[in-house]
Amino acid sequence: MQAELAVGRPASEGRWPATVVARQTAHKAVRSGVLWGYVFGAYLATQALAYASSYKTVSQRAGMAKEFGTNAGISALVGPAHELQTVAGFTVWKCLAVLAVVGAVWGLLTGTRLLRGEEDAGRWELLLAGQTTRRAAAAQALAGLGCGVAALWVVTAVITVVVGRSSKVDFSVSGALFLAVAVVAAAAMFLAVGALTSQLAATRRQASAYAGAALGVSYALRMVADSGTGLDWLRWVSPLGWIEQLQPLTAPRPFALLPIAGLIGVLSLFTIRLAGERDLGGSTFPDRSGSVPHTRLCSGPARLNIRLMRSTLVGWGVGIAAYGLILGLVARSGGSALSSSASMTRALSRLGAIGAYAYLGVAFLMMAVILALVAAGQISAARSEEAGGRLDHFLVRPVSRSSWLAGRLLIATIVLVVGGLLAGVFTWLGAASQHTGVSFASVLDAGLNVVPPAVCILGIGTFVLGVWPRASTVATYCVVVWSFLVELMGGVVGLNHWVLDASLFHQMAAAPAVSPDWTTGGVLVAIGAVAAVLGGTAFAHRDLKGE
Amino acid sequence: MGVLAIRTEGLSKRYGSVHAIEDLDLEVAEGEVVGYLGPNGAGKTTTIRLLLGLIRPSAGRAEIFGLDCQRQVVEAHRRLAYVAGEASLWPSLTGAETLHLLGRVQGRVDDTYRDELIGRFDLDPSKKVRACSKGNRQKLILIAALMTRPELLVLDEPTSGLDPLMEQAFRHCVHEARERGQTIFLSSHILSEVEVLCDRIGILREGLLVEMGTLAEMRHLSALTIEATFEGPVPDITGVPGVSSVEVVGHFVRCHVRGTIEPLLKVLAASGVQELLSREPSLEELFLAQYGASSESADTPAHAS
Repeated sequence: MQAELAVGRPASEGRWPATVVARQTAHKAVRSGVLWGYVFGAYLATQALAYASSYKTVSQRAGMAKEFGTNAGISALVGPAHELQTVAGFTVWKCLAVLAVVGAVWGLLTGTRLLRGEEDAGRWELLLAGQTTRRAAAAQALAGLGCGVAALWVVTAVITVVVGRSSKVDFSVSGALFLAVAVVAAAAMFLAVGALTSQLAATRRQASAYAGAALGVSYALRMVADSGTGLDWLRWVSPLGWIEQLQPLTAPRPFALLPIAGLIGVLSLFTIRLAGERDLGGSTFPDRSGSVPHTRLCSGPARLNIRLMRSTLVGWGVGIAAYGLILGLVARSGGSALSSSASMTRALSRLGAIGAYAYLGVAFLMMAVILALVAAGQISAARSEEAGGRLDHFLVRPVSRSSWLAGRLLIATIVLVVGGLLAGVFTWLGAASQHTGVSFASVLDAGLNVVPPAVCILGIGTFVLGVWPRASTVATYCVVVWSFLVELMGGVVGLNHWVLDASLFHQMAAAPAVSPDWTTGGVLVAIGAVAAVLGGTAFAHRDLKGE
Repeated sequence: MGVLAIRTEGLSKRYGSVHAIEDLDLEVAEGEVVGYLGPNGAGKTTTIRLLLGLIRPSAGRAEIFGLDCQRQVVEAHRRLAYVAGEASLWPSLTGAETLHLLGRVQGRVDDTYRDELIGRFDLDPSKKVRACSKGNRQKLILIAALMTRPELLVLDEPTSGLDPLMEQAFRHCVHEARERGQTIFLSSHILSEVEVLCDRIGILREGLLVEMGTLAEMRHLSALTIEATFEGPVPDITGVPGVSSVEVVGHFVRCHVRGTIEPLLKVLAASGVQELLSREPSLEELFLAQYGASSESADTPAHAS
């Protein structure tokens, strides 16, 4: 019977064997693109609906536009404001710069993961043994990444169009579609940047660092251009500046798509060319493959963890410090702007705060999200040590599973506390430089106030690592995204309190607008600790699981 | 008899309905070199991961030097070193950093011996792991295991990726370890390696230990190969007790004989045999005989349920 089958259908061949790289890459990129599409869409929708319900009268909107539209500090942060007295103007101003940066980070990480990461893992070697060349494979991978951007755009666009149909928001369909293009343009450009740096660097981490540096330069140029120093032309040399020039909804300028498309095209061509010229596994830039041994941090699992994570953690630390500094710098004007919104004033007066305190109270939600992402990253790193088989090297030596895990969790907790302190100190430095009159103790408390949710995330992640290791990374990030979206939308669409309570960020007091609720913070830490202990116990009694 | 280096009792591991290892009873004395053979998927690596406490048994127990492999794992690991067939290491560390790290974690290193091993295996320790070939990474984990001079070496296809010269260096190291009285548990696909190095050999098939003994014992239990050439036609020997696998080519016959060869000799002598050759099976033949038996019995449900 088997013989008959073999004769009837010779070799089980794929339908298009020459496109296997494109399909594999597209499969992964689309999945991620769809997920982030929901986040982008939800963020856009929330901001549009929040504006429409918070600023109902013409005078409220005019006051708000007057305050924010002329503030150089805020312009430097999120770009210049156009037509803030309209839902469209406000939505673009509030979302475009933020989502462009988030999209760029997604793009560069996805680009390097699906090109350099796959190559580092040895999977490209298998694919290249098939019916393709290095150049063709790179071109296919780029096509796959393109599918990811398309998925990101489609989901964002559908949500934007649907929300735009609401009478309170009222975006035209073409306007909403163009807004979605503007929002995902940075993701597309930095996917291409990530693909190119994957050819230049020797490892995925290095490739991400190069692409991250490109994003940093781009952001700094745009910031200078928007800071009112007469260097507006700099906007045309920064990819993030081009996105601003698109001016979706308010004064659409499709011609600004030309440099964006041009950059993607040029980077793609270079990527394909370099992929053909270098060896598989090699790099275009010379790799420092040998070096003098540095053994100070090579004496045990915990120290090695510090060594392997230090560049990432320094990056997060610099990011938190910079974000805190900027928040501090704009706290005074941000606070007075918030006060011009009647509904905001009512909401904030319930909190008992006004001015800079109120502004920081709202803005520190983002700090909590950043710290929660750091915690999720720690779980992801621990899982990757197990999945990659590197954990075996410790566990076949006199190292117990619980001491390995406890060491990692201790370091992660210290990192989170330091992150919270950095947030507080640098926000205070920014605020103090503007004579905002915010007390050091209250901002430091606000910094520490964002630590408990992150510790709780760490505990939940450890629990999943213990009971369902293969899902731990995704599940932990999902808790962060869920908590963020629920908290974001909760205030706008009036969610059920059970749903709101399921957001970890909802449990956090809006310090420094109000005093931190250390009891609730303690409960969050306790939940995290219990989850970590349960997860640790499960981890100590289960099989190690590969990928 | 002193404490055994390795002892398993009814050790089993199931993944759903698949029996990776079933009811394994294994004893390895101190100072012994034991080879562990089996086709892919027979359960060799599963056995080793159970011994190392990396996975939990579904039933039974395992001990290393009398220490329970699940409950006294840290104490047990102080006395052993393990080499995996696939070396996944930290790509950003150099070879020297990796050796330093693994030595510190183990808690003891013979520095002189480590340097000697680096020379013997011709390893450049200043290279980063990501720049090392598969073979060089394998050398790295071999050196990391040997340099601690453990009482027990657990080796899971340790020479995969090594060139013949390095394989030779590895054999030399195993000889030295044996002379020093170290116990070695070697899972390998390279039968000549096992044949040369091991005192006893276990053959695993579909999760069951089907043979365990010295090579001589296995040969004794297995069929002898007899080749004979006749002046005239080859007599019919298919019915002779103990004879199997008869192949006739002209005046030449080859067959296997299990048990006493006396009945066959009588038939051959009566038929004018001109040349007679008898040969003990090599390990490869023993292994393939087991393999063949497994393919033949593939249709009959063995133990899987």
